[in-house]
Amino acid sequence: MATETRPEQGQAPVFTSFKEMMEYGKQNGYKMDWLQPRETFGSRLDSDEAAGGLLLQDIDHGPFAQVPDWSDNMTGRPRGALTRPNAPRVGNYSVRTKGDIWLKNAAQLYEEAVQRQWSSAVDVPWDEMEELPEDIERAECQLATFLTEVEFVAGDVPGKWISETTPDYYEPRMFLMSQIMDEARHMDVFRKRAFANGGGLMSQTTNVALSGGAIDSARDFTEMSARLHISGEGLVLSIFRMGERMSYNDAEKAIYRLAASDESRHVAFGVMHLQYLAQTDPERKEEIHSYLDEIEMGLVAGTGGQNPAARGTPSNAALAILLGGGSDAQSIHEGNQIALAVRQRQVKEYVQRVRVAGLGDRFENGRANAALAAYVSA
Amino acid sequence: MVQQQSGAQTDVDGNPVPELPDLSWMDKTLGWGVKARIEPFGGGLTINALNVGVYAEVPEHIPYRNRLPRGAYPAPGAGTIGGYYLQDKYEQWSDHAGLLYEEAISRRWATATDIPWNTAHGLPDDVEVALCQVATELSQQGSVESEVVSGWLQNLSPGYHEVKLYLSTVVYEAARLFEGYRKRAMLNGGGMMLESPGLMNRAVLETYAGWSQTVLGLWAIRGALQHEILRYLAVYGPSEADRELALRLIPDRVRTSAYAVSHIKFAISKKPEISQAFHAWLSGVEVAQARDLRDPVLVEALAVIFGGGVKHMDQGMQIVQRMLHDFVETYLDRCKQAGLPRERMLTPPFQAILDGSAFQQPA
Ligand SMILES: [Fe+2]
Ligand SMILES: [Fe+2]
Repeated sequence: MATETRPEQGQAPVFTSFKEMMEYGKQNGYKMDWLQPRETFGSRLDSDEAAGGLLLQDIDHGPFAQVPDWSDNMTGRPRGALTRPNAPRVGNYSVRTKGDIWLKNAAQLYEEAVQRQWSSAVDVPWDEMEELPEDIERAECQLATFLTEVEFVAGDVPGKWISETTPDYYEPRMFLMSQIMDEARHMDVFRKRAFANGGGLMSQTTNVALSGGAIDSARDFTEMSARLHISGEGLVLSIFRMGERMSYNDAEKAIYRLAASDESRHVAFGVMHLQYLAQTDPERKEEIHSYLDEIEMGLVAGTGGQNPAARGTPSNAALAILLGGGSDAQSIHEGNQIALAVRQRQVKEYVQRVRVAGLGDRFENGRANAALAAYVSA
Repeated sequence: MVQQQSGAQTDVDGNPVPELPDLSWMDKTLGWGVKARIEPFGGGLTINALNVGVYAEVPEHIPYRNRLPRGAYPAPGAGTIGGYYLQDKYEQWSDHAGLLYEEAISRRWATATDIPWNTAHGLPDDVEVALCQVATELSQQGSVESEVVSGWLQNLSPGYHEVKLYLSTVVYEAARLFEGYRKRAMLNGGGMMLESPGLMNRAVLETYAGWSQTVLGLWAIRGALQHEILRYLAVYGPSEADRELALRLIPDRVRTSAYAVSHIKFAISKKPEISQAFHAWLSGVEVAQARDLRDPVLVEALAVIFGGGVKHMDQGMQIVQRMLHDFVETYLDRCKQAGLPRERMLTPPFQAILDGSAFQQPA
């Protein structure tokens, strides 16, 4: 586009106010009504490279920083923008009460996600993989098939909620958009793992569909978030953190490490949202506890399908093979012992997250599922 | 470790531990022994490289509505989740989706650190306010685009995962368009100005006709306008930061166009009769876009920026007219590449933009 040039500019008047500029424009046939500074005009932001540059969490002030408790934004305008009375009402947002989706640090989590983007194509040392024993490779591929299937629950479902949320709450929306990106990479990296080392895709997991259904079907954002961010992704995060123990090469280690770093943000979002809700809308605590009752049933009974460590599933057997180092009875037995430690870790981390969210009273007052105690005290 | 409650035969819940778990899944694969090739010259392992052997076929129809990964061994009784009703390839596919996904991933940058923000202080007041007005419009467009695309994800079949992967990058890039221009607007306190007139927002949000129609509205029409605004801002932006921000966002927009063109072309190749519906749809969206442009706010603000101030608005308006002419040409070009030649079908308001009569210089 080297051809674009400005026309010649002749002598021009000097203005001392917006009013003069507007008048000048009007005299020349323009409408100009829009040329009026907002109340914050002139308050300057400095971008400090050393402090991470110009960050989303630092930019809003004045009317732009005011997050309404209830949003009447029906036109999809950016928060703080001036309204047009004739704009069509396209924003039929179901999430327009702040407590329903808000958390304190969504913008920070978004910026962190931006800084920590990675590529499954080049950031995993695929060329360092060597041929594995057949049973180990099949177990790897079964786990990869499970994970590539389950990962995009966490992309499609947040996607639906983004479009349901008023842009007045843009920070949590932005975080969820970064999550969609992350989950695409997870879906992609586990599919790649299945094909990277002479294997292929294995079996779909029957109850993944069912569990996905529970997250998909949630009609309240917080319920969805508790099921997805706290429960589903929490379980997966605990497993990724054990990645060292089930990896057979640096490529697999890299996959689990990179995915765990994303997953920990997603879980943090859920925990921080629940914490905000518990603090600002304590009347909803009972309702949230009832979601947790269901979540805990899944946690101890191994139902719910989001958990690769749940008993009786191909992915659990695959985990045992990977952790034990083979598919003979002795290895699987050893692997199962380690898998038990994985489940124990999942439960402990779940309890910790619920405590941080401010709903830990359930572990003191007898409401929490009794079977959790066996794991926690073990 | 959890203590075994009664010897080695039960686990923590008291359930008996079988000697060996069910390992019948070990034989459940539709194709074993596949090794995807790593790209030479540093491209790594790409998503398209996985489409080998029995996994190479991308079927015309996905007969299930759950998250079965394409090519995995289907579990009996997996059932339906809901959503995922776009099960036909022609409704979403593009041969370039996998490539566009990897391309998007490889271009990592952040508005926080990759824009020389400190070069955009101290501009003339009128130029600054005009920039904030344009930033408000672009930011809102990013916001609407993220709503539209993320809302459609639940309808698009996971069987065409390349498309879903690519669209995930689009959502992320729409977020970047939103926050990049919000940051720009807030940089000197100007902030968000007047919201968008909204008719194009409505056109792309209320596209119940189908995903392909959404694609046309979003990326053949609005995307062409965004592309031209950014292209002109990359030249006439009043600061290095303004030019750099626009320049960096252009490749994101170009990829959406590449997806749109190749997807529409593919859809027409499978269902030639569909082009009639596409043309009819485009006519309606052209009118919405032209009505939005008839509102003077965006064009006047651009004229102030391009002219270098209110005092040179006439000259700026000449540049805006050139930009709008380029917009319709870019749009026509996209339609033509997609197999929807529209030169002879252009609606009068778009024809007027093309021949320059839509925005006559004020007397
Ligand atoms: Fe994930
Ligand atoms: Fe996640």
